[in-house]
Amino acid sequence: MSDQRTQVGVPVLRRDLYAKVTGAATYTVDVSPPGTLHAKVVRSSHAHARITRIERDAALATPGVVGIVVAEDLKDLFPRFGHIVPDHCILAIGKVRYYGEPVALVVAESLFAAEDAAAAVEVHYEELDAVMTAGDALADGAPLVHEEFYRAATDESFAAMAAAPTEDGDGGARDNVAHTVELEWGDVDAAFADAHLVVENERVHYPMLYAYAMEPYNAVADFRDGRLHVTSTAQHPFMVRTDLARIFDLPLSRVRVEVPYLGGGYGSKSYTKVEPLAAIGSWATGRPVKLVLDVEESIYTTRADSADVTVRSAFDAEGRIIAREFDVVLDSGAYADNSPLVLAKTVNRCFGPYRVPNLRARGRSVYTNTSPASSYRGFGAPQGSLPGELNIEKAAAELGLDSFEIRRRNLVRPGEEILRGKRGIDADLLGDLEMLANSLQSHAREDSAIGIGFTASDAGAFPVSTAQIRLQVDGSVLVLSGSTEMGQGSESALAQIAAEELGVPLDAVSVAQSDTGTGPYERTTGASRTTTLAGLALQRACTEAKQKVVAMAAEVFGLPEADIASVPGGVQVADRPRVPFGEVISRWFGAAAGEVTGVGLVRREGVTQKMPPFWEVGVVGVDVEVDPDTGAVKVRQLATVADVGFAINPRAVEGQDLGAATQGLGGALFEELIYDGPQLVNPNMVEYRVPRMQDLAERIDTMIAERGDGVGPYGAKGAGEGTLNPMAAAVAGAVAKAIGRWPTRVPLTPERVWRLMNDLPEEDGE
Amino acid sequence: MLGTFTVSRPTELGQALDLIGEESLAYWGGTELFLAMKMQLLMPGNLVDLKGIPQLREIRMSGDELVIGAGTTHDEIATDPGVRGAAGLLSSVTSRVGNSRVRAQGTIGGNLCFAEPRSDLATVLLALDAMVQLQSSSGERRLSITEFLLGPYWTAREPEELLVAVCVPIPAATGVYLKFQFTERPSVAVTAVVSDGGQPCRLAIGAVADVPALHTAESWDEFDAASIAAGIEPVPDLTGSVTYKRHLTEVLVKKAIAAVRAGERDG
Ligand SMILES: Cc1cc2nc3c(=O)[nH]c(=O)nc-3n(C[C@H](O)[C@H](O)[C@H](O)COP(=O)(O)OP(=O)(O)OC[C@H]3O[C@@H](n4cnc5c(N)ncnc54)[C@H](O)[C@@H]3O)c2cc1C
Repeated sequence: MSDQRTQVGVPVLRRDLYAKVTGAATYTVDVSPPGTLHAKVVRSSHAHARITRIERDAALATPGVVGIVVAEDLKDLFPRFGHIVPDHCILAIGKVRYYGEPVALVVAESLFAAEDAAAAVEVHYEELDAVMTAGDALADGAPLVHEEFYRAATDESFAAMAAAPTEDGDGGARDNVAHTVELEWGDVDAAFADAHLVVENERVHYPMLYAYAMEPYNAVADFRDGRLHVTSTAQHPFMVRTDLARIFDLPLSRVRVEVPYLGGGYGSKSYTKVEPLAAIGSWATGRPVKLVLDVEESIYTTRADSADVTVRSAFDAEGRIIAREFDVVLDSGAYADNSPLVLAKTVNRCFGPYRVPNLRARGRSVYTNTSPASSYRGFGAPQGSLPGELNIEKAAAELGLDSFEIRRRNLVRPGEEILRGKRGIDADLLGDLEMLANSLQSHAREDSAIGIGFTASDAGAFPVSTAQIRLQVDGSVLVLSGSTEMGQGSESALAQIAAEELGVPLDAVSVAQSDTGTGPYERTTGASRTTTLAGLALQRACTEAKQKVVAMAAEVFGLPEADIASVPGGVQVADRPRVPFGEVISRWFGAAAGEVTGVGLVRREGVTQKMPPFWEVGVVGVDVEVDPDTGAVKVRQLATVADVGFAINPRAVEGQDLGAATQGLGGALFEELIYDGPQLVNPNMVEYRVPRMQDLAERIDTMIAERGDGVGPYGAKGAGEGTLNPMAAAVAGAVAKAIGRWPTRVPLTPERVWRLMNDLPEEDGE
Repeated sequence: MLGTFTVSRPTELGQALDLIGEESLAYWGGTELFLAMKMQLLMPGNLVDLKGIPQLREIRMSGDELVIGAGTTHDEIATDPGVRGAAGLLSSVTSRVGNSRVRAQGTIGGNLCFAEPRSDLATVLLALDAMVQLQSSSGERRLSITEFLLGPYWTAREPEELLVAVCVPIPAATGVYLKFQFTERPSVAVTAVVSDGGQPCRLAIGAVADVPALHTAESWDEFDAASIAAGIEPVPDLTGSVTYKRHLTEVLVKKAIAAVRAGERDG
């Protein structure tokens, strides 16, 4: 069958290529409805403080100012958002919980006027003690970030994750633990007692990261006649719509969220960000309002959860894992956002794709007075795999096994469960391991320090997806999807799938995405799900459309449906010539008019009944060199295996993997948001160091393993996050080999490595 | 966000000198200026865009000096055949400044006048014994790099003075320039050069302390990397602590001296 496929499995040029390279592509920042006002956010200058008074008269008198909104004005609205725990104030209510938190919104005729007026808004504070680290937040008697409890959102699929914040046993006082997750099976204590070898790692730290989408968070809102129309930089427009509908108590059908091209997201544009701010601006003034953040404001809007993890593992004499135990603490910042889910995923993913007969993993997500954390590409997997995989490397060293051999002995085999009761692994990790080993070892030098990392992520999120296909009378085809083109190439992949299913040329297919007002529902664009789940929905939509055309042809030709075959591009009756879709449509309508719509639905049923819908594995290896004088780490080789089942657009898969690995290299070697007191010291493009061209490996090998073992179209599974996930672990493992010391944190900056190799304390003691 | 300001575009040096002052700042590439204005560290009412004055953008030989107009960009210096022939080290250093946007837009004058302590140009020009030429409507003066650079973001230039040119004595000293640069700015830079006039061995250390430092001697044997490193006062930042920067200084001093003794020459 597969050799008959012509449109999928072949590299195609991205559809957005020319528009983006020439600057013609439209982004949210380019959208300005007539009469648009501009907004500027007045932000907190404290990490934790009570707001005693806000004076806005002087600011209101600034020429061009139309309105200034503060929390008090939102009394008749639902003034918070949050898809799991609605704890996130649109504008700080009563107190501020982090430096940079929105306190007031100034709306004016021009951006300049808005900025001048924002500087004139006087906010009076009474400072409160702040908790700036998870450790501070967990200490006895720590000041509380949130005094109140929030009722969890009612969505079934989140309910499991969204237990209300924990309450102390003794009398209802609460603490800063926002959420806890525990996972346990087997008899862990007995296994440790029986072990041949127990390997323990010191607490390992994964830093706060900024996802660094080139485009900051922006939104344009137009609230009029009881309808809200928002254009924004959202990965998940349908999720944002739900939050907005709740704020204004509107039916979903009266809230339209539209997303043009997205200038990168990497998870950081999941869920609601600045849309409520723009929306209340428009609600208050009755005119369209545009809010455009700068990079610093974006950094303070969302970051990745930092993590502190301890791990120990028990092995038998053959080097097989008999038990693992993890303790995970996430610093989730001032608001929950998606951190409860990140926590759950960290716990699910920290112990790796191994046979672990006895497991205990405990996680806590902690509120602190720092910027709110939420989704970031990889979703807890990078945070968990760093300690988990370093621990495996340490065990290998103690057992006298090499990095590949210890994994050969422990990786799950195809179909085996990683999480109890969940879908068995739909990948051949041992096959992937041999590809990786071949690639790295055949180019190794005598002094090579090779580190590898394996992860498996329960991916795909909750399987709810819908798609529509509209066959036009001229033979062209329109694909409608609620999935966002965020640079990953879904516009091309969806077009390829439609062209393949319908047997029409790729050029005949147009794709329109992400408009809750006119397009079909898609739950999210995240968890690497689009190709698999939106692709599946689209395949089903194509099938329905083809069936409809067969039925119409039967009517037109006066034949039973059984006599009509669906063939590429149209229908066929016996050995008569093929009749194209367009001709059937036009003959059925009796005019050169009309169209046929096919709808495809995906839910937890059939192939997508079992959770997760698929596993996204991460298989990477690096070969590094450490400068003994400076501690600088140079990556000689990078090898990755994309175990994607089937690569619809192989070029896109390779691009995703190289991009993900490079982003992972950022967290491994360079990137870290650093707080000093209430503020970040590096919330800008110059001091937040991301990977650059010269940092790429000298040799890069992005391999694709296609075994048709996914539930998606043609056996496909998602890609996009996998290769990021084990990067920090692989790099740290390689550095450990190069210098003979075990890192306990990333990024492994030159100074950190130099101190480690010279047994110096982490910082100057001054 | 930038405040409100006006821009003047003189086409002759004389006009520019009349305009320049405390509230009316020179504007070349704007690579530092606009960052400082966005952060409201500088809030000039007027900018004097000097890019329309051809004489400030010239590179020429004048007797035993290479004269580089203050408005010459890093790229222009790096690719100028005259500079490459007469002062190869300078050409090499300018080709390695920051990133390509900064090299395309940033000027030698802007670099020196802003006096960002991690400047590569200040370090190499110090080693090359360069002079800066300042001019105001009431006169002209020449200062050495040491006289010109007083501290971080602080120079001897008076508000109504313009830096018009940088003069490098030729034949210029030759040698190597090594830097450790992990982020946008170097953490430490060391250049070792041999020169015909004065003391033959010259070592300049920059980017690490408030201002670059110069050490000279008759012979390379007289330099002790460890005590030179111990004598500097590194400014700690995200690219390194005091201890690490001292260590890097020692490493680079040793490497630079070894390289120059082995006959290596940049550019
Ligand atoms: C991201 C980044 C990385 C960098 N990396 C490096 C590096 O690795 N090494 C390095 O050496 N430098 C580095 N730089 C500094 C760079 O070299 C300077 O920014 C640039 O040369 C400044 O020139 P400009 O023409 O843009 O100056 P402008 O920004 O236009 O001016 C800077 C200041 O000097 C004043 N000024 C300018 N010219 C004159 C004049 N002729 N007379 C009097 N006053 C004047 C201006 O009024 C202003 O206050 C970096 C800069 C950036 C932004």
